Amino acid sequence: MTQSYEVFLGCAIPSRFNNYESSMRAVAKNLDIELIDFEGASCCGTVVLKSIDENSWLSMSGRNIALAEQRGHDIVTPCNGCFGSLKDTSHVLHNNAACRKKVNAVLKPLGLEYTGKATIRHFVEVLYDMRGEIEEKIVRRLDGLRVAFHPGCHLIRPSSVAGFDDPELPRKVDELIEITGAKCVHWDMKLRCCGSPLLIASESVALKILKEKMISANGAGANCVVTNCPACQTQFDIQQIGLKDEAGNSLELPALFVTQVLGTALGIDAEPLGFELNRVSLNPIRDILGI
Amino acid sequence: MTDAWGQFKSFDGKKFKAMDAEFTRGASNLIGGKDLTACFQCAKCSAGCPVSDKVNIQIHEVMRMLLFGLKEVLETDMVWLCTTCYTCQERCPQGIEITDILFGLKNMAFKKRIAPPGYSGARQSLYDKGRLYEPTDWERDDLGLDPVPVLNIEDTKRMLKKTGLMKLEEDV
Repeated sequence: MTQSYEVFLGCAIPSRFNNYESSMRAVAKNLDIELIDFEGASCCGTVVLKSIDENSWLSMSGRNIALAEQRGHDIVTPCNGCFGSLKDTSHVLHNNAACRKKVNAVLKPLGLEYTGKATIRHFVEVLYDMRGEIEEKIVRRLDGLRVAFHPGCHLIRPSSVAGFDDPELPRKVDELIEITGAKCVHWDMKLRCCGSPLLIASESVALKILKEKMISANGAGANCVVTNCPACQTQFDIQQIGLKDEAGNSLELPALFVTQVLGTALGIDAEPLGFELNRVSLNPIRDILGI
Repeated sequence: MTDAWGQFKSFDGKKFKAMDAEFTRGASNLIGGKDLTACFQCAKCSAGCPVSDKVNIQIHEVMRMLLFGLKEVLETDMVWLCTTCYTCQERCPQGIEITDILFGLKNMAFKKRIAPPGYSGARQSLYDKGRLYEPTDWERDDLGLDPVPVLNIEDTKRMLKKTGLMKLEEDV
C-alpha cells in the first residue's frame, strides 16, 4: 500500500539545502511514498523559539500539527530540528493539560485545534521500515564508501520523545546505509552534538565542537560524513570548509545527505540528487558515487 | 576561563546574599522541572555534556545553583551555551529533565534581557515572516522544485500577538 504524508520541510532546507529536498523527493518517488505539500506551514519554532518563549513555541508548532490533523494527514519531515520540535510539542501537549488548554485557546480563533491524532515521523524512520524493499531495489553498490554517520541529537534524544532508535547505540540508519555496500565506521564522537544550535550564541564554541567531531571522523578512517538534518549539515557542509587541525592538516570530508547515498544506490540520476549544491568538494568519493 | 558568553564566570570569592526558596520553587514549576530537587550531584550530566570543557559553570553546578535558589544562575554561560543535545537528560539516573529545565531558564533569562543578541533578531524574523530563513528560489528552479507553499503570515502574527512574543521583557 502506498504510504502518504504531508511533508514538513521547515525553513533551513528550502533556504540552504534544496539538494536534501530534491533527493528526498526522488527517493520517495522511487519507493512509491506519496509526499503531499504542507500548505500553510510556518517555521517549526525549533530550539530557537523554545529558548525564547515556550508558550509561543508550543503555539507555533502546535498550529502546524493542527493543520495536518484538520486535513486528516500524517506528517513526515526530513529535518531533525523539525522532527524534535513537532514531536516534543506533541509530547508536552499530550501530557500537560494546562499547556494544551493554553495552546488551543490561541489556535481557536484560527479555526484550529490540537488533538494529537496525526503521526509525526522522520523520513529515515519511513525508510528504515522499508529497508527490505530498498535492498531489493539496489542497482549500484557503494563499496569503498566509508561513512561517519552522524545521527544528530533530536532524531534519538530524548528517547522518551523521539522513540526511534537506541539513544546510546543507534544502529538503524547505519543499517540502512550499509544496505548499499557502504561501511559505517565506528567513531568516538558519533553521538556528540554537531554544535550547530550554538551558531546563534557563539560561533567559536560551535566550531570547537565541529573540530572535535572531524578529528574523530578522520581518525576512524571515514571518507565522508552522512547526515539526515539540515542544521547538522550546516556544520558539516558550510562551517567545515577549510577546517584544519592544530598542525594545519585539512580535516575536510565530503558531507552527504542520507537520501543522496540511498538515491545513488537506487540508481537515481545525479541531477535530482543535487550533488552540484554540495559545498565541500566531493572529489575524494566521485568514483564511488559514479558522478 | 572562557569568554564566549555570560557574566557569572566563577564561584571563587563569591558570597551569596540569600538563597531564594521561591526561585527554586519557580524552577520546579518549569516544563520538565518537577523532579529538580531529586538531584544528588553525581555529575553524570556534566560527564557527557559536549560543552563541559568549554564553559565556566557546568551543568551539574547549574543544577546545584537551582536547588540553592541562586538567581545568579541566569548569568552563567551554561544557560546559553547548552547545545540542547539532551544527553544529560537521557542519562540522568534520577530522571530529571535537565535540558528542558535549561530551556525554561533561557526563557527566564530572555525576559531579563540576558541573551545573546542573535535571539532578538530570530524573534523578529519569526514574528514578521513566520520563518527563520527564506527559500532560495533560483536553486529550487534549477532542481525543478515547486515553490514553497504560501504561509498566511497574518495567522501566525495574530497567534504570536496573543502569546506576547514581542513583549516578553519584564521592564517593557
